[in-house]
Amino acid sequence: MKAQDLRTCLVLAAPVMLAYVSIGIPCGVIEAQAGLTPLMALLLSATYYSGAGQFMVGGMWLSGIPVVSILLSVSLVTTRQLLYSAAFAPYLGAERRGKSLAFAALVTDETFGVNLSQFSAREGWDLAHAQAVNVVCMLSWALANYLGAALGTVLELPTDVMSFGMTAIFICLLVSQLTDGVTGFAAAVAASTVALCKLLGFDGAAVFVGALAGVASGVVVGEVHAR
Amino acid sequence: MSRETFLGLWLSLLAVMLTCRCLPLLLLRGRELPERVERALSLIPAAAFAALVANDLVKPDVYAANPTAALPVALASAVVLVVARKSGSLLWCAISGMAAYALLGVLL
Repeated sequence: MKAQDLRTCLVLAAPVMLAYVSIGIPCGVIEAQAGLTPLMALLLSATYYSGAGQFMVGGMWLSGIPVVSILLSVSLVTTRQLLYSAAFAPYLGAERRGKSLAFAALVTDETFGVNLSQFSAREGWDLAHAQAVNVVCMLSWALANYLGAALGTVLELPTDVMSFGMTAIFICLLVSQLTDGVTGFAAAVAASTVALCKLLGFDGAAVFVGALAGVASGVVVGEVHAR
Repeated sequence: MSRETFLGLWLSLLAVMLTCRCLPLLLLRGRELPERVERALSLIPAAAFAALVANDLVKPDVYAANPTAALPVALASAVVLVVARKSGSLLWCAISGMAAYALLGVLL
């Protein structure tokens, strides 16, 4: 990869890296409180690599919830990754299987948005570019977690403000996807379904169920609209 | 958390995560997909991001205990929405969102 290509990837990844550092440090602090060493936090962040999942693990462990319940709850939240992986399939058909899987293993909510928009809009965006975005974002997350775990309870951080940075990124990515009435309808159904799930107390699977409901309703409305 | 507990939890979480991240791609890549499936795949980003936004903003327990807690969240989200429409920049959205949320948290 040329230096200019790497610069392009870094520019695209910069907002996500900034958010990951903001959120990764408090996440590491919680992990340290849960008894993880900085190296454990680094290992977890570089491989499992999930903000929501890692916050849940630390928080639930500190609340005294059994390991099996933690595993089941966090696994439910992880199910949305099934949809991200499926969405990349049309763009990676010609790539080598190993490289495609190495890329898929590092996809998060944020890098999914950045890379999918580049695959669909930018000429010449390929697996190498996408993986470069993934790797620099993962490194920023893992190192921020390590730092947070090393600093431990010394830090007092405004976690709610920092986590709103991630929400802001999701809002921006959502706005970029609302290209017509059908995507708008799918988004509205997805959001409403999540709200309903949370009101009914089904928090764990809310995102996955909401996204599925949005996609299904969008397909139906699109077909009705096309007739 | 002991080292053994961490190892068990980490390996289990990693197995679930890698399955979710890799299996659909492994099964679908390189195949001629029906038109309806392609349409469904194209709707995933909008639906997924709407679901993630709603998941972050809708907190029934928090708002039931303190209804005014929803105000800074709603106003800061509106600020981000305007910035997203005007600039389309993830960086500016993150910065303006955190600044608005912090400021509104102090003011309200």
